[in-house]
Amino acid sequence: MSEGVQPAPAPAVKPLSCPACGASIELRAAGYTVTLVCPYCSSVLDTANPDVGIIQRYSKAARELEIPLGTRGTLKGVDWEAIGYLRRSEGGTYPWEEYLLFNPYHGYRWLVTDGRGWTFGTMLTESPKYGGSDGLIVDGQPYKSFFRNGRAQVDYVLGEFYWRVRQGEEVETADYVRPGFMLSFEGNEEERNWTLGELLDGKEMAEAFGVDEPRKWRPGGPPPLPHQPSPYAGSASTLGKLALLGIVALFVLTLIFGGSRNEREFEFSVTPGGGEVSRTYGPVSFDRPWQAVTIKAQASGLENAWVDLDYALVDRKSQTTYAAYAIAERYSGRDSDGAWTEGSRGATTKLATVPAGEYDLVVDASGQNWGFGGSSGPVPVTISIAQGATFWSNFILAVILLLVPAIIVLFRHARFETARTAESDQGSALANMMQGDEDE
Amino acid sequence: MLTVSCPNCGADVVFRSPALPVKVCDYCQTNVMRVGDELRDMGKAAVLPFDVSPIRIGTSGRFDGQGFDVIGRVRWGWSDGSWNEWLMLFGDGSHGWLGEAMGQFMVTRERALDGVRTEMFRHLASGGDIQVGESGELDGVEYIAADIKQATCLAAEGELPFTAPAGWTIDSIDFRTTTGAVASFQRDGEEANLYLGRYVELGELKPQDLREITGWAMPRFAA
Repeated sequence: MSEGVQPAPAPAVKPLSCPACGASIELRAAGYTVTLVCPYCSSVLDTANPDVGIIQRYSKAARELEIPLGTRGTLKGVDWEAIGYLRRSEGGTYPWEEYLLFNPYHGYRWLVTDGRGWTFGTMLTESPKYGGSDGLIVDGQPYKSFFRNGRAQVDYVLGEFYWRVRQGEEVETADYVRPGFMLSFEGNEEERNWTLGELLDGKEMAEAFGVDEPRKWRPGGPPPLPHQPSPYAGSASTLGKLALLGIVALFVLTLIFGGSRNEREFEFSVTPGGGEVSRTYGPVSFDRPWQAVTIKAQASGLENAWVDLDYALVDRKSQTTYAAYAIAERYSGRDSDGAWTEGSRGATTKLATVPAGEYDLVVDASGQNWGFGGSSGPVPVTISIAQGATFWSNFILAVILLLVPAIIVLFRHARFETARTAESDQGSALANMMQGDEDE
Repeated sequence: MLTVSCPNCGADVVFRSPALPVKVCDYCQTNVMRVGDELRDMGKAAVLPFDVSPIRIGTSGRFDGQGFDVIGRVRWGWSDGSWNEWLMLFGDGSHGWLGEAMGQFMVTRERALDGVRTEMFRHLASGGDIQVGESGELDGVEYIAADIKQATCLAAEGELPFTAPAGWTIDSIDFRTTTGAVASFQRDGEEANLYLGRYVELGELKPQDLREITGWAMPRFAA
């Protein structure tokens, strides 16, 4: 229920004349603003009372700003007007800039930049909770400690502020981060404030306030911002998942298209030291246009001897020959460590691409004893030939290839994170350690 | 609603709440006090300095499920600034304060000090002093002193639970918590009052009839 008619809209600004230089100036947040720095003479004015007083008199022109005070821009669907500007530093080093934004219905916000990006800050009305091991929690989100025991001073002031700004004034600072966000503490004996900053998209900021988009991070360039999300984190995880998916798919495919069928066996025997034996087995027919062929040999009774096997798969029509070689061997004995065996009585040979047709398998086998006590009599050899094969070596090669992109991106992500945390009070120890390693 | 004539200028003075004894005349800024059927002229309030507050007398909204209307305001100043305390009249006839400082809002209601056992608040009520950072527990909430200052009443308008003469000086202490809850303690040498509440976003009050400000779009939450 409203009392009568809506009164005429209130003016947005309050005109003043600067008591130092006489210029007419405007108060953009009348009722809130306590300190105003005249844009014409840079004198610091006290606007806490209706009678505007001079705190510090200057007569120098104001600096030109990247965002001139009075500029309006839309961020997160709300119009903001830049009304105040601070240039700050850590005892003269690491300078950065802060713009105070105002909207009478939404209060104050901050735009903070050191040239590497823009952060949109909102003052918190509650203190963060402790989150274990140097971390803090705000709205259920964890923040890791990044800078500790910092000191921030004010080097240059322009525009209007809702507190008494003093050039040279110093506060203690600490910063905590999670990707895309920074939680900042500023405090002295009288006041403690927490601000939550959100890293703005460069394009969003360029469109809102007409500033240049910050340059993308490059290896070897200036380090990323403490709260800059790794541009590789997302793709590393996506590529990792894709690679895993590919590996599973390949494994299944290898099983489905691997395996053998139409297995046939034949047997003969070889006497070690007894010369070469030649056997022809056929016909063996293959029905697919192209197929792998698996030939297995098993010399069951082999002892301290080996059998060389030369295979020739001969196409009956074209006389095209596919040759392969295998060895079955078995050695055993006893020494101070006890009994030992070596070698395998079986041997598997794979031919990758054999065209369809009728074939004969020619096997030339010869056995040799190794020293004394080897097989003396004939050793039975079983040969089996089958259509198809499972190529595990190919599978492993494919897995490695699939992992390469993920590994490259993971490496880039690690390089970005190292650069990002290098400035941190936590990361610097790590960086020093790595530096030390390189020096050795 | 009770309409009387201003004892100073004769203009209509409307009291919306029977519980509130004071109204600042809209026309001549006289503090008009009701004592029984009698009207007293308690002297003039100062004219409010211009500000760009989005709140005005007549703004309405909801807080914790209850509707409210803004019917009065006290503007306080201190050495480093000033702030508004808007008087909220709730649907059930009770009242609270919508504090507006540094672009942030908080809603508080008075908590009778009689039932408060917290040592820190008792100490303050008996005239003692505390330091920033000192804390005390009340109803399971830890209140930490964040801001201690002397405040002076600059001006007032509308209906009020007390007369707010310009120049009236009080001790004002703000307390914060880790949950957004707040407390505010005020005393003027004769009386001490404790207010408990929490920070709010203007939008969550679903405000209607906010003040129009030239060149600024009404926020979506008030449309």
